[in-house]
Amino acid sequence: MADIIKNPRNGCALHGALQTVQEINGVVPVVHANAGCGVINYLANSKTTGGSARFSGYSIPGTAAQERHVIFGGASRLREQIKNTIKVVDGVLYVILNSCESAMVGDDVDAMTREIVEQHEPVVDTLIAGFNGGAHFGYEHVLADVFKSVYDVRLSETNKNSNLVNIFGIIPEKDPYWQGNIEEIKRILEGVGIKANVFFGVTGGIEDIDNAKNAALSIVFGRWGELPAKVLNEKFDIPVIQKAALPVNALEEKELIDEIGKVISLEQDVVDEFLNKELAYESNYYGRIRDEVIEHAIGKSVAIVGDEEQVIRLGRIAKDVFGAKIVAAILTDSLKKDEEHELNNDEVFASITSSVYKTSDQKDIDDIIRQSKAELVIGSSLEVNIANKAGIPLIEASYPIYHKSILNQSTSGVRGAVEFVSNYLTTVKQDEKEKTEELYNYLKQLKGQKTWQEHSSKRGQVKQLNLISELASKESI
Amino acid sequence: MAEKIGKHIAIYGKGGIGKSTTTSNISAALAEAGYRVIQIGCDPKSDSTNTLRGNNYLPTVLDSLREGNKIHLDDISVKGFGGVLCIESGGPVPGVGCAGRGINAAVNLLQELNLFEEFKPDYVLYDVLGDVVCGGFAVPIRDGITDRAYVVSSSDFMALYAANNLFKAINKYAPTGGAKLGGVIANSMKPGYHREIVEDFVAKTGTSIAGYVNRSIDVQQSELYGKTVIEAKPNSAQADIYRNLAKHIAENENLVVPNPLGSSELRDWARNWGDRIYDIESGVVGVAEAI
Repeated sequence: MADIIKNPRNGCALHGALQTVQEINGVVPVVHANAGCGVINYLANSKTTGGSARFSGYSIPGTAAQERHVIFGGASRLREQIKNTIKVVDGVLYVILNSCESAMVGDDVDAMTREIVEQHEPVVDTLIAGFNGGAHFGYEHVLADVFKSVYDVRLSETNKNSNLVNIFGIIPEKDPYWQGNIEEIKRILEGVGIKANVFFGVTGGIEDIDNAKNAALSIVFGRWGELPAKVLNEKFDIPVIQKAALPVNALEEKELIDEIGKVISLEQDVVDEFLNKELAYESNYYGRIRDEVIEHAIGKSVAIVGDEEQVIRLGRIAKDVFGAKIVAAILTDSLKKDEEHELNNDEVFASITSSVYKTSDQKDIDDIIRQSKAELVIGSSLEVNIANKAGIPLIEASYPIYHKSILNQSTSGVRGAVEFVSNYLTTVKQDEKEKTEELYNYLKQLKGQKTWQEHSSKRGQVKQLNLISELASKESI
Repeated sequence: MAEKIGKHIAIYGKGGIGKSTTTSNISAALAEAGYRVIQIGCDPKSDSTNTLRGNNYLPTVLDSLREGNKIHLDDISVKGFGGVLCIESGGPVPGVGCAGRGINAAVNLLQELNLFEEFKPDYVLYDVLGDVVCGGFAVPIRDGITDRAYVVSSSDFMALYAANNLFKAINKYAPTGGAKLGGVIANSMKPGYHREIVEDFVAKTGTSIAGYVNRSIDVQQSELYGKTVIEAKPNSAQADIYRNLAKHIAENENLVVPNPLGSSELRDWARNWGDRIYDIESGVVGVAEAI
C-alpha cells in the first residue's frame, strides 16, 4: 500500500526531463501530454529556481491531448504538433517528451519521430513517462536518450578533444543554485585549462550536446548523471569519474583536478598557480571571519535537508568551517525501490554524520528535525514551519526556495562556499538579533511589575527570567 | 443516480464464443414477446447488432465522438428486428489508442443523451467484448450501469478461464454497487461430457446455468442470412431455446456474487478434467462413470 507524502518536493519524470531539456539553449521541448502537465512544472519551478527558460510553462509546444486522443491514439496529433512546432519555433534540436497518458495508450512516438527525421528534421524522443520515476530520474533518462540518438539526427563534427570534459549531476531547477554551481565548476576547470561541457544555462547549450561525444572524460557529481555518462562511455569510450558532491574548498578542488589529471594531461604550473589562488581566496575570507565564527556560530547542532549531493556539500562546509555537529542528514532524492546507481556514499556520510535519513515526506522530515534537537536547519522553504515551531533559524539552500531570488549565486566551489558561509553566519547573527529583540520586548512588558519572583512563579519561566535578569544587569536596564 | 429505466443486463464471454449471436437472439426473443429492448454493442469491432439490423450500416458512438460534432441519438442508433434499438459503441483502429476508455466514454455519452429516458426500454443488453482485460471493459458492471451480468461460455478451458476472470471483476465491484451474476449461458453444447464440465465449473464457483444452447446449423445459417434465428427460423427448435433463455433472463432475480477460482485452483481443476476426458475419449470409462 502506498503511503501519503506530505508536501512532495519532487516532480515526476516528465517534469525532470522537461526542466532538463528546456534549460539547454537551442533545444525546444515538445510535450506529448494532457494540457497542464508542462504548466504544473512551470508553476512549481519558475518562482523558486531562478526564473524560467525561454520555452517553459505556457510557451512549451505541446499536444494538449484530450479524451479522443486517448481513445483513438494521439500519434497523429503528435505528428501535427511536431510539424507545426518546427514551422513556427526556431530550434536546433526538438526533443519529444512522452507522458503517462501516451505511454498507457501506447502511442507509437518512435514511429512519429522517425517519420520526421526522415524529412531531415533534428528530432529525438524520450519514451519515459511521468510515472516511471521522479524528476531526478527524468533528468538522467532524457539526457541518456538524447545522447543515444542525437548524433544520428544531427550532423556534428567528430573530433576528439583531449581537453574537454562533460559535467553531469547538477540538475537544472532541482538544485536552486544550479546556474551558479554550473558557472562555478566551469570556472574551476577553465582555471586549470580544461574546457567543460556543462550543457545548461547561459554557459551551456546545444553545442555542448554536439561536442559531448568528443570529450576526453565525463565527471558525474552525485548519483544522478551516471546513466548519460554510461551511454557516452559505451558509445564513444569516454571514461567516467564520479564524485559524491561538487567541491567546496581548495583541497577538494585539488583532489578533483588531480583525479582529472590522471586522464587529461594538465600543465602543472597552471594547476599550482590556480589552486594557490583558490587557497588564498578561501583563506582570506575564512580568516577574516574567524572571530565572528567563534563568537556566534561555532559547534552548532545542524540538520540538513536536501538532495544527497547538496547535503554532502553543505554538510562538509558546516562541519569544516563552523565545526557543526550534523545531527540529521535528510536526503530527499526521489529514489526508486530498485535503486540502480553504482555510487555508494556510505563512507562519505560516515565522515559527516551517523544520522542519515531518506525521505521526502514533510511529516517525517519535521519529526526528524524535532527529535534531532538541531539548533539550525539547512533546508528548503518547506522547513520554515518546523524551524519556526522549534524556534531555530533556517538557511534556505535546497529545493524549493520561495523567499529568495537566486540567479548566478552558488553553493559550491571555493567562491560558492564563501557565499554559503556568509549566508550561514548572517542567518545565525540575524537569529541572535531577533532573539535578543524578543527578550528586550518581553523585558519591557515586565516593567512596572512588582518583582521578578511573581513572574518566576509561573511554571517554565524561571530559567527565562534568570536569563533576562542577567541580561538586564549587563545592559543596566 | 436517478431510478434506472428497465433492466440492464451485461453479457460477457471470451471472444468468438457466440456472445453477439446469443445476445441478439435474446434481444429478438424479448422484442417478439412485446418488450422494448435496446442492445448496445460494447466492442470496437462494432458487429454486435449486425443480425438485428440486416447488416445495415450504423455509425458508432465513438465514430461520432471522433468527428467532434454535436451528437444526436438518431445519428447513432437504428431500430432493428422487432423494434430493438441497436447501438454500437465502436472503438479505435486495432493496435491504436485505448478501447477500454472508449467503452467508458461511449456509455457516459449515452447517459448524457438521455437514451433511457427517451426510449423507455424494458430491457437493455450490453454485449461486451472478450475478456475483462482492463478497467474500461468492466465499466458496464461498475457504477450501477447494469445490475446483472451473464457470461457466455462453452466447455473449453479458455472460455471458462475468461468466465472466471469476469467472476473476479464482479466479485471486486459488487460490494460497491456493481452488477451481480445472473448465470452462465452454456453455449455450443455438444453431446457428451461438455455440459458436465460447465456444470462442475458453476458448482465450484457458486453460480448457476442460465440455459443451454446447443450447437446448431440453424444458428450458422441464420447468421449467413444476416438475421437472428428468431427472425430467420422462428419455428425452429433453436428459436425456442433462445426464447426460453430470454424468458429465464427476463424473470431471473436470483443474482449472486460468484466465488472465482484462484489461478492454481483453476489449473488443477482443468487438469483433473483433462485426465477424465482422456479416459472417456480413449474408451477406458463411459461418460457416466467419468463424472
